[in-house]
Amino acid sequence: MKQVAYYKGCLAALSAKELDTSTQALAPKVGLELIDLESVTCCGAGDIHEAEPDYYLHLNARILAYAEATGSDTLMTICNVCTLNLRQADFMLKGDEALMARVNTNLAAVGVPPYSGAVEVKHFLWIVAEGEGYELLKTSAHKGLKGVKIAPFYGCQILRPSKLLGFEDPDRPWSLERIIEACGGEVVDYPAKIKCCGFPIIQAREETALGELVQPIEQAIERGADAIVTPCPLCHLSLDAWQQKLNAARDKEGLEPLQPMPIFHLSQLIGVAAGIEESELKFKRHVVSMRPVLEKLEV
Amino acid sequence: MEAKHDVLVVGAGCAGMRAAIEAFDAGADVAMISKIHPTRSHSGAAEGGINAALGNASEDDPETHAFDTVKGSDYLGDQDAIQILCDEAPDDVYQLEHWGAVFSRTEDGRIAQRPFGAAGAPRTAYAADITGHVLVQVLYEQVVKRDILTYEEWFAWKLVVEDDRCQGVICWDLLNGGLKAIGAKTVILATGGAGRLYTGTTNAYACTGDGMTLALRAGVALKDMEMMQFHPTTLAPTGVLITEGCRGEGAYLLNSEGERFLKTYAPNAMELASRDVISRAEQTEIDEGRGVNGNVLLDMRHLGAEKIIERLHGTRELSLTFAGVDPIYEPIPVRPGAHYHMGGVDTDVWGLTSLEGLYAAGEVACVSVHGANRLGGNALMETITYGKRSGRHAAEWALANTTVTVPESVLSDAERELKTLLDRRDGERPWRIRDELAITMHENFGVFRREDQMQKQGDIVEGLRERYERVVVEDKGNVFNSDLTQALELGFLLELAQCMVVCGIARKESRGAHARPHDYPERDDENFLKHTLVTWDDGPELDWKPVTMTKWEPKERTY
Amino acid sequence: MATIETAEQTMQVKLKIWRFDSSTGERALKEYEVEAPEWVTLLDVLDIIKDRVDGSLAYRKSCRMMICGSCGMRMDGAAVLACKTRMYEIVQAGHVPVISAMGNLPIHKDLVVDMEPFWQKFNAMKPWLQPGYEEPPEGKEYRVSQERTKVIEKEALCINCGCCVSECNAMESSPAFLGPQALAKGMRFVGDARDAATVERLEDYSGEHGIWECTRCYFCNERCPKGVDPRDAIAKLGAEAVKQGVDQDMGVKHAKWFIKSTETTGWLRETELVPKTQGVISAISQMKFAMKLARHGKVPIPVPPHVADKVDEARALHKVVHEQGRLGYDGIVQGERALAKLDYHLREEDKTEETEA
Repeated sequence: MKQVAYYKGCLAALSAKELDTSTQALAPKVGLELIDLESVTCCGAGDIHEAEPDYYLHLNARILAYAEATGSDTLMTICNVCTLNLRQADFMLKGDEALMARVNTNLAAVGVPPYSGAVEVKHFLWIVAEGEGYELLKTSAHKGLKGVKIAPFYGCQILRPSKLLGFEDPDRPWSLERIIEACGGEVVDYPAKIKCCGFPIIQAREETALGELVQPIEQAIERGADAIVTPCPLCHLSLDAWQQKLNAARDKEGLEPLQPMPIFHLSQLIGVAAGIEESELKFKRHVVSMRPVLEKLEV
Repeated sequence: MEAKHDVLVVGAGCAGMRAAIEAFDAGADVAMISKIHPTRSHSGAAEGGINAALGNASEDDPETHAFDTVKGSDYLGDQDAIQILCDEAPDDVYQLEHWGAVFSRTEDGRIAQRPFGAAGAPRTAYAADITGHVLVQVLYEQVVKRDILTYEEWFAWKLVVEDDRCQGVICWDLLNGGLKAIGAKTVILATGGAGRLYTGTTNAYACTGDGMTLALRAGVALKDMEMMQFHPTTLAPTGVLITEGCRGEGAYLLNSEGERFLKTYAPNAMELASRDVISRAEQTEIDEGRGVNGNVLLDMRHLGAEKIIERLHGTRELSLTFAGVDPIYEPIPVRPGAHYHMGGVDTDVWGLTSLEGLYAAGEVACVSVHGANRLGGNALMETITYGKRSGRHAAEWALANTTVTVPESVLSDAERELKTLLDRRDGERPWRIRDELAITMHENFGVFRREDQMQKQGDIVEGLRERYERVVVEDKGNVFNSDLTQALELGFLLELAQCMVVCGIARKESRGAHARPHDYPERDDENFLKHTLVTWDDGPELDWKPVTMTKWEPKERTY
Repeated sequence: MATIETAEQTMQVKLKIWRFDSSTGERALKEYEVEAPEWVTLLDVLDIIKDRVDGSLAYRKSCRMMICGSCGMRMDGAAVLACKTRMYEIVQAGHVPVISAMGNLPIHKDLVVDMEPFWQKFNAMKPWLQPGYEEPPEGKEYRVSQERTKVIEKEALCINCGCCVSECNAMESSPAFLGPQALAKGMRFVGDARDAATVERLEDYSGEHGIWECTRCYFCNERCPKGVDPRDAIAKLGAEAVKQGVDQDMGVKHAKWFIKSTETTGWLRETELVPKTQGVISAISQMKFAMKLARHGKVPIPVPPHVADKVDEARALHKVVHEQGRLGYDGIVQGERALAKLDYHLREEDKTEETEA
């Protein structure tokens, strides 16, 4: 079993609890022992990075420091935004001795252990898309997805900026497709899979965000997908909870509502294929009913 | 007439924009014509810096700057024009900074200056290695601030000459099609150089000598046309520029034996000798078998990663992209490439030509501040100082004169000529003529010249001009017809090539960039301390013009 | 494109190009195959096609050395500079790329876009220095440290090529969005020590289609061929806006709630996010939406609050950070040196103290 420091992020702790429970249930099956980080905060998302970037750096340094303190060399994330934020902060510290010294002095002043750069931040997606994690995923996905059609939605911040993330070609990613196939599903390909769901501005600029959000959903429907899967709970919230807002906006313009498109968290999708209980996967917490696809999966 | 202006500037690079700004501030109704968007102008590709005796890096003064320039010109530069440039340079650079130019800075916050070729003191003010880009941006910002009208993507094809005055320009609207006549009391040519005459050039595709030929066809003389500078450090095969700034920061030039070969040719200045000296040295090393695949090596490894990344970031990017070489780890293979035209439209110290109402500033002009060889960093300075001067003079003249006449026939004649070209379906596509011109100019009129080769080149160019009479433009449409404009550009180049060869043959000496080691290896001040002057009358007509000397007598020129 | 090289190796290059005739509105995908030297770029190949196959092919070009910004176009849907795109590896891989005009701008002809909307947004930034100082003494230069110059070093690299605008997701949905190029140019002035109009600019740039409409898709950072990182320029503007008190936009209120959350509960206080961002009235009008979310447990009950362990550390950190005063864009600029190293591609053994420090 590989021990990893586990940073679940805000949504998985609260409104997207289903992501946390399904990840925790799945972890041992793919060879991961999760050390839950308690003394951490929100990573700040793009919001604190934009509003108070020095504070953003310190918050993320603190998370990295506590991760390092667990003794593990890996900090595992389950959210795109957390992944980018932590990796960016990590590079900023690792690449500038003076900056790291300054931040560590500040951390020490408030009682936080120092960060020496001993940790690498990885999204759960990357751990199970290749190597040993992938092998274990294949063996554990024994129940399979029965050829159900799944459209992968990457979202932005697991791919771009690629120099900070670097796991796969940002224009031709492959990890979600590989996992879908390993789990026995059929991949539905479509152009908007690497575009933005609009979440960062869904409150401040709703109309603009909805104009982005409609694209992956429409395209997935057009191409006959049974469900979308995403590695980011923020994208999930947009795709799932805001679907009704999309239809409300369409209604105002005299357009037909879009047929409902169920949205999987990545851990849930693998979890279904691995036969994990509904009580852990918690599909009832989704706003758009998962029933149509779950029926096809005979769950 | 499409419109009428007081001052019409053709070309919107550093010289054009600076002239337009000055004319605007002087109260004139000014407009610019540019065949490309202003910020695309090739001034933006200048890298190393702009010269002025600011005295920020060491003791310096305009007098020393002027002497360095005179000596650099191999005594062919007009000393009054040079004095003006060097005297006005510092204030002109400060003006750019006040407008917001993003210069690199010294420890105490002043504009940073680096050493450059053939300069007695480090006076090349720089912005990392993207100085041209920074200046184009700041000038464009000032153009936008003043909301100066620009006929963007309009191709200037002919000057309107009426009553012995230049009264406007006939353009082809590249964006939407159609010939348009714009009337103007004064026209300032700021169209840059003609590097596209050569294969292996640092110049953009747009650098086709448009303004020079426009002036030539309007009866104005071109001066020192044989003087084409070959920049010592360009990348094979296409000639992308690697800045002199590398050598300013301490890079070495090595031959295949790993020697700093300049110790033989310029033992004092070494890599910071003047460009013509270094290009000749390189070409000699290559010709004598001490090159590496037709190049020499520019070695920066000893500068260290930190300095290269800090000050020569752009150079590293170019080297990686176009030569596949990382200068932190390997020397860059470089060789001489056609870079800058010292020659051009003959003007006085206000940019005025012999045709009333017609001015020229920047590389298109020959005042002459560069004589037979230009110092690095002086070209950007010339665009600013002489752009400013011609803008001011043109505005003042225009405000004191009222009439503009563009007869109908001028436009209809042009339309007929264009129709003949566009209607032609049997003939030759321009690219063959263009490529043959460039390759043969490189072979026969390059760094080293000889009588027999130059004569041969004259015949070749005549033959190409004949073939050009049958050139075919495939695109017959109106919208974005760059096939047409590229064909017209080729026409400009061919006439210039003819002029250059005639002047080259006539100058029976070696001076600056005009090197004839086989037949006339020495400089001959007694017979040739004068400018060539060429006009066009169904072919080039040669004349001479004396050099203006004020303070400095010609001396032996060594580095 | 003639060269004097002898014994040049050549290769067969295949391309597909989306042709467009704006007078007829006709679009057509045409395939081309030409022979070209191995060192060619996409721009060189277009030249060969235009010279020898079809003279009507329209595209912009000038410097061919990545500084003029003329040749922005899409290759397989992603904006690139044609002069920077080497063809050798593409040909070796047997790939036939599809070339089309840049996105988010009207197509004029073939690969030539109408740049008017682009320049209009550029002009809307009032992109000229507004000095608020007396002329410097003796008429010389205004003194600016190299450190302060570095604040806008990246933004000053911009060559206005349009690659960032081409795939901007926010602009695609909202065409009036000022966009990455214009906002990066805005940051060039907000960060310039000599410019006196900082607050005025931030107010101008904080409108409906300004800073806070950026969707953070990072396509601009990814596409920019010069390393400008426009998204980071926008973030710098946001940071400075907050510092200068230009903070009335919903986007700022949204961000400030994140900050408040870290100090009080550690994790984001999601439930209160809507009213805090959009105001109580708007929150009430969205009751129905909120109730539906609540039924699925998507609205975590804020009482008792789910508080992360040792939250007081975060609160204290916030205080320390404010005391040290590295507020506004300095917080992002401080990391640029380290992040730039990701582009250096230095060999491991050469990462010395000197290059690291």
